[in-house]
Amino acid sequence: MSIEKFMQSAITGWMTGEGEYSDIVMATRVRLARNLRGYRFPIAASEDEALAVDKMAAGALLDEVDGKGYAYIRMSDLSKLDREVLVEKHLISPQLTNPERQGAVVLSEDETVSIMVNEEDHIRIQCIFPGLQLEEAYQQADAVDDLLEKQLPYAFDEQFGYLTSCPSNTGTGVRASVMMHLPALTITKQIKRIIPAITRLGIVVRGSYGEGSKALGNVYQVSNQVTLGKTEAEILEELGNVTARLIAHERQARKNLLEKSRTALEDRLHRSLGTLVYARLLPTGEAAKCLSDVRLGVDLGLIKDVDVSIMNELMIFMQPGFLQQYANAELTQEERDIFRAKLFRARLLIDGALPSTKKSKED
Amino acid sequence: MICEKCKERPASVVITKGYMGESIEHHLCEKCAFQSEAFHFSPNEEPLSIQQFLSHWFGGGDTFQTQPKRRGTTAHQLECPDCKLTFGNFLDIGKFGCATCYETFKERLPHVFGKLHNGQTTHTGKIPVSFNELYAIKRKIEEVRVKMQEAVEAERFEEAAELRDEARMLQQHLSNGGEAYNVD
Ligand SMILES: [Zn+2]
Ligand SMILES: [Zn+2]
Repeated sequence: MSIEKFMQSAITGWMTGEGEYSDIVMATRVRLARNLRGYRFPIAASEDEALAVDKMAAGALLDEVDGKGYAYIRMSDLSKLDREVLVEKHLISPQLTNPERQGAVVLSEDETVSIMVNEEDHIRIQCIFPGLQLEEAYQQADAVDDLLEKQLPYAFDEQFGYLTSCPSNTGTGVRASVMMHLPALTITKQIKRIIPAITRLGIVVRGSYGEGSKALGNVYQVSNQVTLGKTEAEILEELGNVTARLIAHERQARKNLLEKSRTALEDRLHRSLGTLVYARLLPTGEAAKCLSDVRLGVDLGLIKDVDVSIMNELMIFMQPGFLQQYANAELTQEERDIFRAKLFRARLLIDGALPSTKKSKED
Repeated sequence: MICEKCKERPASVVITKGYMGESIEHHLCEKCAFQSEAFHFSPNEEPLSIQQFLSHWFGGGDTFQTQPKRRGTTAHQLECPDCKLTFGNFLDIGKFGCATCYETFKERLPHVFGKLHNGQTTHTGKIPVSFNELYAIKRKIEEVRVKMQEAVEAERFEEAAELRDEARMLQQHLSNGGEAYNVD
């Protein structure tokens, strides 16, 4: 399969590089946690109970969203690699793939909506949109929630709201996250000062690739921490405000970098482009750092002829699951680094010469 | 690695227990860990470790002497009738096992939530429509019962009997989860 084709079939709605503030905000995700009354939560449920929940949820889901291009996928029917790819696309969480959980996902055709069954909670509704679209993502999730609620008896309490397995989700069950690319704040080390200040506002910042809080490729996930005692609108507004401030800080830091050390910056960003285009071995960390640099170069107009959407795609496709799916084989780490370099070269050096946004002429 | 306890499922949780100045690691599956008496660390969880947070704040860890409650006190032995989770266990793993846990630990939860949610303890967000219906049925039942009492006192027994039937019917709907009943 050609890279173009593979990417087109693997691309998902939020990676398009569109949406508001897409030079800094890569994607917006809203997740609602819900549980069914009368069934123990997945962590404590028996297998029979989990299967009963799956049956009930799947029934309601397919009833309500049927005919709108949704697919029901059981984790046990997927290969390990396919599950990994769904995780890397941020469509399901690693927890859903836990073989004890009887996990399943209901996925909309454009992959903006994914509804996980038997994750940490019985039901998790998740919507991902490109760019900054908190309102839109919430409304979509809320609409799915309304549909499900008509058929499913939710565990809800007057005092505590939606009852969830983790006390950090109790109340609204809403976790809204904004995936942000903050290279200038990272390069200038301002981010270290900003994170503790934001935390005091009840907002959490962490690296977006799951692994601890390390921000791979200068991509951070900014999300609400508090879910109890605030309305959904308040939660979204507070997160929106913090996001807006981060965008302003990042823009200012970019401007300062350009003004004060343009040549050094240009040198760094172009070196990174060179690495991506010519490297023969490309480990994850280096690939992520270089991608971040090139993306910044594109955003600042220093690097031309590279499309931002290609940067977004490569950030996802450089991950192990995708690489192996594309290679159609299990790869060792070294093989992955070689294959990753090959993929980047092919994607960025389309005519064997310069980076280009030109659509390929192959096939 | 296979779970040490059930020897069936894969081990996904590491429990470290102190014993005579040494710490011993136990590898358990999620299910067995859930039922285990004490564990302090679960590596495959999200970076913001709720369980570590909770067990530090409430578990009587040495660093936080503000909470004198110790494992083994009555509060820690409070047990959920549906999933058998004890309050002490909840503090260790940082997760509820079922919705009934909330009812069981009701008294202690505002304190826990206050710490986790910036002092907030009461939900103010979205309410499911179905819950509003149930709530409406409950209120209607109370209303009908008051009317019935009045009818009995006024010796309008036929009316009281009708009201009693209505209350029973409503009660039935309530226990069915309020399905197919519209309260006007
Ligand atoms: Zn076990
Ligand atoms: Zn319980």
